[in-house]
Amino acid sequence: MKSMKEDFKYYRVIEDIKYGRIQSATEATLAILRAAVHFVNEAEDTSRIREFLRHFFFKALEARPTNALLMNVVREAILAVRKPLEVGSLDETRRVFNKYYNETIKSIRTMNDAIAKMAVNRIEDGDRIFTYSYSTIVMKALKLAKEVGKEIKIYVSESRPGLEGLNTARELGDYGIPVTLFVDSATRYFMKEVNKVFIGAEAIAANGAVVSKVGTTLVALAANEARVNVFVLAPTLKFSPETIYGELVELLEKEPESFIFVERMHKMGLKINDKFHIKVPMFDVTPPEYIDAIITEKGLIAPQAVTFMLREIYGWPFHFAPIRELLGD
Amino acid sequence: MKVPSEVTKIANDIKAMRIRGASRIAQAAALGLKIAAEHYSGDSVDEFIDYLTNVKEILEKTRPTAVSLPNALSYVMLRVFRRYNSGARLKELIEVVIDAAEEFIEYSKTATKRIGEIGARRIRDGDVILTHCNSSAALSIIVRAFEEGKDIKVYATETRPKFQGYLTAKALYEKGISVTLVPDSAVRLIMKKVDRVFVGADAVAANGAVVNKIGTSLIALAAHEARVNFFVAAETYKFSPTTVIGELVEIEERSPLEVVSEDFVKTSKNIVVRNPAFDVTPPEYIDAIITERGVIPPQAAIIILKEEYGWALRDYMLKATLEIEEAS
Repeated sequence: MKSMKEDFKYYRVIEDIKYGRIQSATEATLAILRAAVHFVNEAEDTSRIREFLRHFFFKALEARPTNALLMNVVREAILAVRKPLEVGSLDETRRVFNKYYNETIKSIRTMNDAIAKMAVNRIEDGDRIFTYSYSTIVMKALKLAKEVGKEIKIYVSESRPGLEGLNTARELGDYGIPVTLFVDSATRYFMKEVNKVFIGAEAIAANGAVVSKVGTTLVALAANEARVNVFVLAPTLKFSPETIYGELVELLEKEPESFIFVERMHKMGLKINDKFHIKVPMFDVTPPEYIDAIITEKGLIAPQAVTFMLREIYGWPFHFAPIRELLGD
Repeated sequence: MKVPSEVTKIANDIKAMRIRGASRIAQAAALGLKIAAEHYSGDSVDEFIDYLTNVKEILEKTRPTAVSLPNALSYVMLRVFRRYNSGARLKELIEVVIDAAEEFIEYSKTATKRIGEIGARRIRDGDVILTHCNSSAALSIIVRAFEEGKDIKVYATETRPKFQGYLTAKALYEKGISVTLVPDSAVRLIMKKVDRVFVGADAVAANGAVVNKIGTSLIALAAHEARVNFFVAAETYKFSPTTVIGELVEIEERSPLEVVSEDFVKTSKNIVVRNPAFDVTPPEYIDAIITERGVIPPQAAIIILKEEYGWALRDYMLKATLEIEEAS
């Protein structure tokens, strides 16, 4: 029991993800990895590490089951330390895990840089770009566009229920990029004024469907109607190999009590019961036909080509360890 | 003569959206004219007409988009001018205002009820319904269907920025109807589970395009994509006669402070917060408009306009033609 209590501080990051204090998929993944490496470096024996990692990663995935990047990174992390954990070598476990950690941080950064550069190639002077929620990669691309002297204007909606759009607006505004901010409902109203949509992804399924923050699919639908091009910026690490096996990406919902609705609800004298409910979905799925291209670190591809990329990475027929098996679910 | 404080209060309440919803605004405007007439203490017919016209303009200027507002005012004013032109005395004119205003309010209430009866026939047992904002006409339909014993479930959007969806949820909940609130961004996600959409209207244009609360056109698009029927509930006084002569319906933009906090505005840089209150849904995404006169395809809006506003249309046309002649 004592050990569980000491572990508590590591689990705080999971709470941060659960309650939306960490919002972007990339940031969530990096935070989980950072906490894990801390534990590995401080733990005194390998059996504790094994027990912790299994439980900690399991909880992390439970908090954000849609996050394919997290899933893929966790899978690789477990595979990397499996050997040294089996033979019970603490030094080797630490060495391997730290190496994996450093390489992954670096490779995510390199991938995102490459994607941002390619995205900027698609940006023309005078572009008015619509974005939604808060995406680490999209932010990188838009700032880079400004740095290389391209004149752009950003349109972003507040992105309820998480309100990540406010952070996007503020950060880009502070960076000197003009931003127009509005409610999510005004998406179709403003679609006529933009000529490109840039969005991030939480996971990309085998058929090229993109899982992203709830509301993204409405933006893509409105863009499609207005013949505005939609670009998804995502490293191949966000492709979900599990979906090749037919697994569905689990779409997380939040308890309204844990979210921003509760205050207004109470003010109105409404209480959740069998006749009144508030649904708080966190993600939705954008079908591939509404996406013009996915910009990955390996280049710009059609969403329908995701299968080929997965094949390149994981071989054909597929051989990879499904995450739930690895975690002994 | 000074405008009575009750009338100023009505105007301010409409402006600040303490009175909101196209039907309620129309009724309040008619009531404003009635109160003004009742308070008139002068003794000149011409002065009364000037005073009433002034009151009408104050009420008319409160919100630019909802056409029910000018239509309600014209309903009363038209009757006043007819009698004025035929030489009526002051006492008669005051009575005309009071009668016409009461008649309009009564008509409006009956119309909403009638829309409920007609629209409810479009709802089947077991239907899942989506509604947006807080429309008395749409609610009339949903409540009527429930009262007829149909087992229905309702999704209500939150309706940012002013959260009118919570009012809708509360009204339905109090009737015993099962209701789920969703954020506006979740509309496409839940559309698969929805059988029918019912929304209200702030204005219906001559081509059948519907001006309604911001987000309506996005919902219509998502419904169209999912092959879910999309119905607009609108009393005939929400049809806009001036659009027949090509005038655009002005979309009101409201304060950024309805969207973000004052602190956000003060501390952020390079951000423009825009807050359009309405959007336009094209007729091709609308299956039918349910009026108190019956169900019509949106493209038949012109029939309603010709029937209801034949007099006004001739007037507008004449004015437009005169303007053209003057210009040339």
